[in-house]
Amino acid sequence: MSATAPVMVRTESEHGDHALEFGVLRRYVFSTDHKIIGIQYILTGLVMALVGASLAALIRLQLGWPERQWTFLSQLFPKGMPGGVMTPEFYLAVVTMHGTIMVFFFISYVLVSGFGNYLVPLQVGARDMAFPFLNMLSYWVAFLAAVVMVVSFFVEGGAAASGWTAYPPLSAVAAAIPGSQMGQTLWLLSMAFFIASFTMSGLNIVATVFSLRAPGMSLWRLPLTVWSYFIAAIIGLLAFPPLTAGAVMLLLDRHAGTSFFLPAGLVIGNQLLPNQGGSPLLWQHLFWFLGHPEVYVLILPALGVTCDILPAFTRKPVFGYRWSVWALVAVGVLSMIVWGHHMFVSGMSPFTGEYFSIATLTITVPMTIFGVNMMASLWGGALRMRTPMLFACGVLALFGSGGLGGLFLGNATADMQLHDTYFVVGHFHMMIGGVTLFGTFAAIYFWFPKMFGKVMSEGLGKAHFWLSFAPFFIIFFVQHFVGIEGAPRRYYSFTNYDFLQNTRGENLLISWMAMLLITAQFIFLFNFVKSLFAGRPATANPWEATTLEWTTSSPPPHGNFGAAIPNVTRWAYEYGVTDVNADFAAQSVPSSRVPVTA
Amino acid sequence: MQTATFSNQDELQRADVLRLGLWMFLSTVAMLFAAFASAYLVRRASSDWAQVELPSTFGLNTLVLSAASAVLEAARGWGMTRRWRASSAGLGGAVGLTIGFLGGQVVAWQQLMSQGIFLPDTPHASFLYVLTGAHGVHVAAALLLLTVTTVRTWTGLGRRRFARWAVLMDTTRTFCHFLLAVWLGVLFLLSNY
Repeated sequence: MSATAPVMVRTESEHGDHALEFGVLRRYVFSTDHKIIGIQYILTGLVMALVGASLAALIRLQLGWPERQWTFLSQLFPKGMPGGVMTPEFYLAVVTMHGTIMVFFFISYVLVSGFGNYLVPLQVGARDMAFPFLNMLSYWVAFLAAVVMVVSFFVEGGAAASGWTAYPPLSAVAAAIPGSQMGQTLWLLSMAFFIASFTMSGLNIVATVFSLRAPGMSLWRLPLTVWSYFIAAIIGLLAFPPLTAGAVMLLLDRHAGTSFFLPAGLVIGNQLLPNQGGSPLLWQHLFWFLGHPEVYVLILPALGVTCDILPAFTRKPVFGYRWSVWALVAVGVLSMIVWGHHMFVSGMSPFTGEYFSIATLTITVPMTIFGVNMMASLWGGALRMRTPMLFACGVLALFGSGGLGGLFLGNATADMQLHDTYFVVGHFHMMIGGVTLFGTFAAIYFWFPKMFGKVMSEGLGKAHFWLSFAPFFIIFFVQHFVGIEGAPRRYYSFTNYDFLQNTRGENLLISWMAMLLITAQFIFLFNFVKSLFAGRPATANPWEATTLEWTTSSPPPHGNFGAAIPNVTRWAYEYGVTDVNADFAAQSVPSSRVPVTA
Repeated sequence: MQTATFSNQDELQRADVLRLGLWMFLSTVAMLFAAFASAYLVRRASSDWAQVELPSTFGLNTLVLSAASAVLEAARGWGMTRRWRASSAGLGGAVGLTIGFLGGQVVAWQQLMSQGIFLPDTPHASFLYVLTGAHGVHVAAALLLLTVTTVRTWTGLGRRRFARWAVLMDTTRTFCHFLLAVWLGVLFLLSNY
């Protein structure tokens, strides 16, 4: 690994105050400035989060109070909830779209593409992304993907209903259920746009980190945020294409009569389908080859930003920086070879299952190293329990709790019992739901002053944290036990099964907690909007942090760093230093101890 | 062969960034075709697999695409020694040959259809259409880049800004040669397995 950084020579003439010469459209709509594009991603993702959260509310209304008639909802969804009672088909569509929107259009947009765009150039000391036009294109393709996904609610048959995994034959036969019609085609089209957008975004992140680092910014001086985005981008670039291939073949199965995924002998509506020899399992392999790495594409940035937030509020460097970097690299490699643990019950050879078990449990080693490093970063610190710190601690708690569940699911023997139960739902919500959600909020509260030049309300932020963390933890912790009791996921009602009667109380508790969790997000929205327009002005470095984005104004100017690119002399976590008049030193502050690295 | 000399550090950095971006993009393309190939091998194990005879034009098309790569390489060499007229003509030839390849692939599809072999008929036929189609889409993108390079060479980019021309040329040739390699892989897969 090279310890030398390339020379950053993009000329001032390309940036400077030239943005001011642009019209409003070029500056704020079709901007090529990574900061504007990052904010566009974040705002789009937050709007999509409202849609996803509304769908979660519908799910929990159904599961908590399955017999109740919600008359006001029958007016909103006359076909999906006639007489105020949800139909099974509508429930499946709601579950499918909740998962799809939250994974691909909320977390991916806000945390990965949004903060990735905003932070990476600033933290490596670049004036912009490597390919600014491609960056703008990536946002607008992502926007189109979101629009197509939302439009799919309103087409004949409604939105896709085959789960966020789009397993055939439900997703491949248009006549299967209402959600298998045009909604499923639009789902695939939207995902194709999403993948194209993510590819452009990922290319930009990798090229920027490799080629546009400021003088002195060696790889070992990169903040862990940058490392996490870098690894996540590489994972995404290599893992998404197989889903593109799968989507092309699924579209052909749906519309051109091919049999890639459709086996012989399928009967729909008393009619035997003409397909022969296709393999639904082939889709599962292609999907999970993306699907599992996607988990790390989402989680790694959450862990990365947490590692940058913790030191600012413990006033000490992160623990085990190099081990954490190597852990990220190891997770990146291992994430590509563990997908089969989602398919233990698919009839795979026990030897294959054994391999996937071992590979999956191996990935817990670097993840544990990373988690222990984060916890050790708290040890002996002078803790400042501000809002971003609370959410960062939330990430730690959920990462530990959720990760523990993964040990059971990674083991083929245990997974046979737990597969497709609420244990799985509880586990993945703590990981790609909780770790990423709390990581996202930690990032928003931490970098909001940098992005908008305003400080968010601490009181409202803390209220938001406690009213989010407590219900979130209760919901998904309890779901583990509902799963152990045997409750299968994706069932729209449990009232018809005697063995599930015992879960009624737990489901009610989960639903009440879900309503509290969703309601608490309005505190965040209020705080966000209020702070945006009437927040206290932020200084350049309100948290007394060390990475390069805090050395420029809040918000940073076009081109990020004024006339000169900073010269980096220190690593990213210079806390508790003695050679300056503070307990921290930004990476660009000249050092008497040269070179200063981890 | 003369090595490109860069007029300033900015061009050098631009070249690095473009080269890296291109290779990352080519990695995603490679993964796309690797996924198709994996699906092909899995699907081939099913009992309904029936091999379709490949269109006879595939051989000629392969020669045409190989010739396009060779002419492109020659055009680069002429450009590196500042023989701009020859370079432009060579690039024009590469554009023509690439269009010829795409036209040849359309003829191959017509041959299949005239034999009554359509997309859904057999799994081998489905993959034949899908793989050649996916490859064709990428060749069309390369043709666009090749056309831009040709026009810019013709209009004197190399004379005015040699380093920038060299970056554009390198990007174009890498993409085109890569797609030739992919085509050879696709052909091998379709014909031997």
